[in-house]
Amino acid sequence: MDYEEIKLFRERYIHKQKDYQSLNTFHDRLTWQTINTAIQKVEEEQGKSPAPFAFFVMGSAGRCEQSVWTDQDHGIVYRGGSDEKDYFLELGEEIAAGLEVIGYPRCEGKVMASEPMWTHSTDNWINQVEKWLEEATWQSLRHFSTFFDSRVVIGESSLLDEIKRSTFNFLDNNPEVYRRLIDNVSFLRKGIGIFGQLLPEQSGPMTGSIHLKTTTFFPYVNSLRLLALMDHHLRASTVDRFIYLKENYPFLIEYEDQFKRLLEFRYEHTRLARNYEEVHYVSLAKLSKSDKQELKQFMKSGAELFEKTKSLIEKECLSW
Amino acid sequence: METVLMDNLWVIIGTFLVLLMIGGFILLEAGSTRMKNAGHIAGKTIFTIGIGSLVFWAVGYGFIYGEGNWFIGLSNFFYGDTTFAEEGLSPAVDFMFQMMFALIALTIAFGGFAERAKLSAYVVFAVLFSALVYPVVAHWIWGGGWLADHGKQDFAGSTVVHLTGAMAALAATIILKPRIGKYNKDGSSNDIAGHNQVYTALAVLLLWVGWFGFNGASTFGVSDAFFGYVILNTQLAAAAGAIAAMFIVWAFTGKADVPTTLNGALAGLVAITASCGFVEPWAAVLIGAIGGLMVYGSMRLFDRARIDDPIFALSVHGTVGVWGTISTGFFATHELSVGMEWGLPGLFYGGGFEQLGVQILGVAASGVYAFVVSFIILKVMDKVMGGIRVSEEEEIIGLDLSEHGSYGYPENIPHPSEQQAAK
Repeated sequence: MDYEEIKLFRERYIHKQKDYQSLNTFHDRLTWQTINTAIQKVEEEQGKSPAPFAFFVMGSAGRCEQSVWTDQDHGIVYRGGSDEKDYFLELGEEIAAGLEVIGYPRCEGKVMASEPMWTHSTDNWINQVEKWLEEATWQSLRHFSTFFDSRVVIGESSLLDEIKRSTFNFLDNNPEVYRRLIDNVSFLRKGIGIFGQLLPEQSGPMTGSIHLKTTTFFPYVNSLRLLALMDHHLRASTVDRFIYLKENYPFLIEYEDQFKRLLEFRYEHTRLARNYEEVHYVSLAKLSKSDKQELKQFMKSGAELFEKTKSLIEKECLSW
Repeated sequence: METVLMDNLWVIIGTFLVLLMIGGFILLEAGSTRMKNAGHIAGKTIFTIGIGSLVFWAVGYGFIYGEGNWFIGLSNFFYGDTTFAEEGLSPAVDFMFQMMFALIALTIAFGGFAERAKLSAYVVFAVLFSALVYPVVAHWIWGGGWLADHGKQDFAGSTVVHLTGAMAALAATIILKPRIGKYNKDGSSNDIAGHNQVYTALAVLLLWVGWFGFNGASTFGVSDAFFGYVILNTQLAAAAGAIAAMFIVWAFTGKADVPTTLNGALAGLVAITASCGFVEPWAAVLIGAIGGLMVYGSMRLFDRARIDDPIFALSVHGTVGVWGTISTGFFATHELSVGMEWGLPGLFYGGGFEQLGVQILGVAASGVYAFVVSFIILKVMDKVMGGIRVSEEEEIIGLDLSEHGSYGYPENIPHPSEQQAAK
């Protein structure tokens, strides 16, 4: 299939997915198909891949939480040295261009395999991630969090797992970095006011709408990432993290269904969004009274979950 | 004799303080709007102050305080009284102090012109407002006109200065229509943020201090040091206004919005302007706090009504000006009204509804007059001058360049000809 065919396929079926799981499976299928087409193109021009590699997606794609409209966040890891880098950067560029044609805008923050920062050999990835954690600045930890929510779409998963394992090792030896990781995600945009009312946007085209990602999703996603780090867990999907981590952290049980319901809620209310901007918002005018109650509950539970996670990490990692 | 001289000195100090409020308005308007218009705002404010001063000297003062009828004064034009009686204020001192109020009202009115009116519109309206709008309302309340006969209380000008200026601003805002990019097709409103919140905050501080002259010197003397009491009430109301505004905007939006907080302080000052010499300090706190709450609601309402008010003049000076005037109808004490031979006590001090009724009548009549006459003047100007709004291109390029030929921040905004050359 060429890119145009994949694009038509996307346009025809994207709004026909029955729930958020099938939507994410659909996104994966499109991505997989695009990468294969890109690999073929690059192989025709540059020859076969000079080293084993893995192409991985990050952020919401990594966490299997994509909406109908979503941008690109991806990277490449390969086993080899710096000589092979140009080949994989070219492959990354071909994939980014292909995904753009299909309907995934390029990432504004340039988190893409076409960028030197997001395509490395295993060793260089390990060095870069370690450097991010050593620096522990606001920006470097944002890069780290984006990276850690990653999963392989094509290629050898073990390459990515190797980098993640090195991360666990670093954090075990430097537990104080958890403090910075917590601080990095502690700012939460307020979604509920003192009168218990929802706090929508006050101006601009999205006036009267709630930004779901920043007010509601973030505390769940960030909590589960922090717990996955502490538990040395490799999976990136937040739902999978709930499933596998609740054994060691039973307090997660009461939030697991809530989070799954939140994914459904978002899918129901944003599946008809017309663009990437709109897909992050839910209009309060279109919500019923019970929808609003449910949304407030998502926000309250998320904030509660984050507080519990924070206390737990402070107790277990920062008291050493 | 020493007391008389001290009275004169105090009022002229008050005059200086009020004139410095113009500096506050320059910073307020420039800080609350975009940098491409900053030089224009600073320049046109000083320029129109010049026009306002000459018009006030020529006819304004005469229309307010000259011998005339219930509607308008008709003597003392081209003022130049050098006499000095051994009692009361020197006529020139009194004249200068009164002139400052006219200039402040004019500057408030121009808030409604911000970021889109032609410079020529400022020139013509400065003349007509200073001659035909402000003096009439001032005559009615302060110059022995029909509202003064009813005992209308307005200690330092909530109605005369603030409401009159705001009503002219409302007329201008309606005729000029919203700025480009303010409203979307679906009716939603965009926040066109001001370019410098620090300017805006310093403006509020400058205005706050100036207000001590505005209200404090409106005692017209130093006997009993009553000005201290007036300034105390002024301070309390401004403080309560700032706190109340920050609280309400935080409660409703989750954000402690800085511009709203600053408008709250100004709202407290506007609200207490009418009542600062009539009420007790606890009432000043309440009056200021209610002003602070109202300003937030008013800003929201004007925005929803698609009335683009770039520097919130309509809410701060109009809506709160109304509240400030009516507040004496509730809170004026017996001692500070009847005792001072100025109107009656308010509803909460046994005065019944009479003073409240007078205050409401005064607000309604003054507001309607200022709005209708300003609207007619501006409509006629719009027809005669081929529009009072700059073209779309001029508005986009900024009034600094379109009306004056140079930017207020030349280093930060490349001149369009340089931009062209660079391509």
